[in-house]
Amino acid sequence: MPDGSGHMQPFLDQALADSASVPGAKVDWLADLRGRGASIYGDRGLPGRRDEYWRYTNLNALGKNDFELANGGPAVDVPALPHRAVAELASYRIVFVNGRLRPDLCVLDDMPDGVLIAGLGDMIAAAPDRLEPVLGQGLDLHEMPLAALNTAFMRDGMVLFVDAGVDVDKPVHLVSITVPGETPLMLQPRHLVVLGDAAKATLIESHIGSDEGAYFNNLVSEISIGEGAELNHYTFQEEGPAAVHIAATALNLAAAATYDGFLLQSGGLIGRVETRAILNGSDADCRLDGIYLGTGEQVLDTTTYVEHVAAGCRSRQVYKGVLDGKARGVFQGKIHVRPDAQQTDGHQLSRALLLSPRAEIDTRPELEIYADDVKCSHGATAGELDAEALFYLMSRGIPAEAARRILIEAFVGEALSEIRLSQVAEDFSAHVRNWLSANITVNTAD
Amino acid sequence: MALLEIRNLHATVDDKPILNGVDLTIDAGEVHAIMGPNGSGKSTLSYVLSGRDGYEVTDGEVIYDGKDLLEMAADERAREGVFLAFQYPVEIPGVAGLTFLKTAANALRTHRGEGELDAMDFLKFVRGKAEALDINDEMLKRAVNEGFSGGEKKRMEILQMAVLEPKLAILDETDSGLDIDALKVVSDGVNALRGPERGMLLITHYQRLLDYIVPDRVHVLAHGRIVKSGDKDLALELEAKGYGEFMEAAE
Repeated sequence: MPDGSGHMQPFLDQALADSASVPGAKVDWLADLRGRGASIYGDRGLPGRRDEYWRYTNLNALGKNDFELANGGPAVDVPALPHRAVAELASYRIVFVNGRLRPDLCVLDDMPDGVLIAGLGDMIAAAPDRLEPVLGQGLDLHEMPLAALNTAFMRDGMVLFVDAGVDVDKPVHLVSITVPGETPLMLQPRHLVVLGDAAKATLIESHIGSDEGAYFNNLVSEISIGEGAELNHYTFQEEGPAAVHIAATALNLAAAATYDGFLLQSGGLIGRVETRAILNGSDADCRLDGIYLGTGEQVLDTTTYVEHVAAGCRSRQVYKGVLDGKARGVFQGKIHVRPDAQQTDGHQLSRALLLSPRAEIDTRPELEIYADDVKCSHGATAGELDAEALFYLMSRGIPAEAARRILIEAFVGEALSEIRLSQVAEDFSAHVRNWLSANITVNTAD
Repeated sequence: MALLEIRNLHATVDDKPILNGVDLTIDAGEVHAIMGPNGSGKSTLSYVLSGRDGYEVTDGEVIYDGKDLLEMAADERAREGVFLAFQYPVEIPGVAGLTFLKTAANALRTHRGEGELDAMDFLKFVRGKAEALDINDEMLKRAVNEGFSGGEKKRMEILQMAVLEPKLAILDETDSGLDIDALKVVSDGVNALRGPERGMLLITHYQRLLDYIVPDRVHVLAHGRIVKSGDKDLALELEAKGYGEFMEAAE
């Protein structure tokens, strides 16, 4: 419904309607937090063209549908995960189907001391006190209106707590599967990751939609990395073809913390992944890399904000996109260097390959620097496949289609080569190859 | 039957006429050299023959091995045995040279109805050819031409030729940018590939290359036409007199 100011605020009524019956409704701080989310979202409404960082990704379609809040789903076959190497990897697995934890599909046995992997819903019911100091603390809801909406709804998601000094012995695999039915579904998962000082963990996320049906997955992750702690974080965004995937990640890095993130986005009709990284302690190291593969009428948006608060931190961002058909890519990246953040080393690069004359990329790199002793850069390129390289390959007898694939694989391969966990790199590469086989034909060159 | 027969070939680039009626016949086993000043159409001829986009044939025909060459796409021509050694080999970051060579070789083998070579057999096969060209494993493993010197690139071109075993090899200014030592290695590589089944077309500005790769026939290209043909002595005559009088004759 548009309110008096013309804002669209779909979903708000649904959030308010069951605020009294939602788990944890009687926990004061949680009710306050939800109320704050509802209020901020109520003021802001669905982000649109008037919002600086939503100019290129139009969500009006969401206001037109009636979405039903997802509440668990049918039985699914988890071994059928598209990520074979990761699926076979020994890992702690936490699985959500249609937004709700599915304990029957989880593999969480023999967790070492100092590691907690649990559903947020269970934690709200059993130990809300453990959530209070961290939940909702790591993000600025005013900057992220849909994270405010998520906050108004939040009832399930993953909690990963790693105590100081603990090195989690196996990767943690978060699987989100959505199986929409007749009615479009809305999911509002909330994930919370807290690594104590000098802790180490690897988190893999698979977001999968199994069907053609429409759904809206509005997820929020709060990630806090303690002093000298290290998180490797790999994400597959492979939602169903009619999905709207909106992810907001709030990252907070303490001194000498390391975050190494890699995102593969190729699912959904609209996919938008926004990461806000705050480098609070000196000598922190933050990498945000990714590739996106778009075709048809997809819109794939990568938005980053990296704030250097403390001195001597490094941040690196390399995003590469391949866009075919009428797909549109969006890259908005800002590096913000505060006055005290001397010796900042911050770099950002966006490269897009446009395979069709109707494909489009909107790029918006920004540097905002208030310290004087810094090394910062940004760069953005967009272009077609190199005709000379294509001819060179073909002049050696390699068919046009194969030549195009070789060049596209080389373009994204550079980014994949830096992934540390080989099984993840293997699955990312396999996904790229499958995508190319399904989408790249000689005809798209014309 | 001639291996290559070019008849009255006219071609334009961006609507500008570059080739104005080239006639040339190469038999299997022969090495022909085309010499000419800058802008005479030498490189255009090599690109038209290898099927590069952007070159429009407006008249004439090219019969290769009994087939209409101009009807074939660039990759098809290569699989039928046409090879162009580039004047400026292209750098392709992210594509391993060995993988590239193997993909190309297997595309050809498949086309000829031979089985594909696996990685180990292929490596053995390539190493045998690479040694003679002074190319080590490290060079093979690098990305295609990336960061190679001019001489290294030209040696890699000849290696590709040795691996792909074409019926017709077109070498475009293969001597450019080479010092004498490199020129010798490259020429030895080319000479080793001369054979009764193979035709070669050397395109060069200077006579120097022809001291090392001695041609059966030499042609002078000027204003997009062959204005004089002769044996290897024609190259020496050109070197002594310059292109001037041939250019005038072509006006």
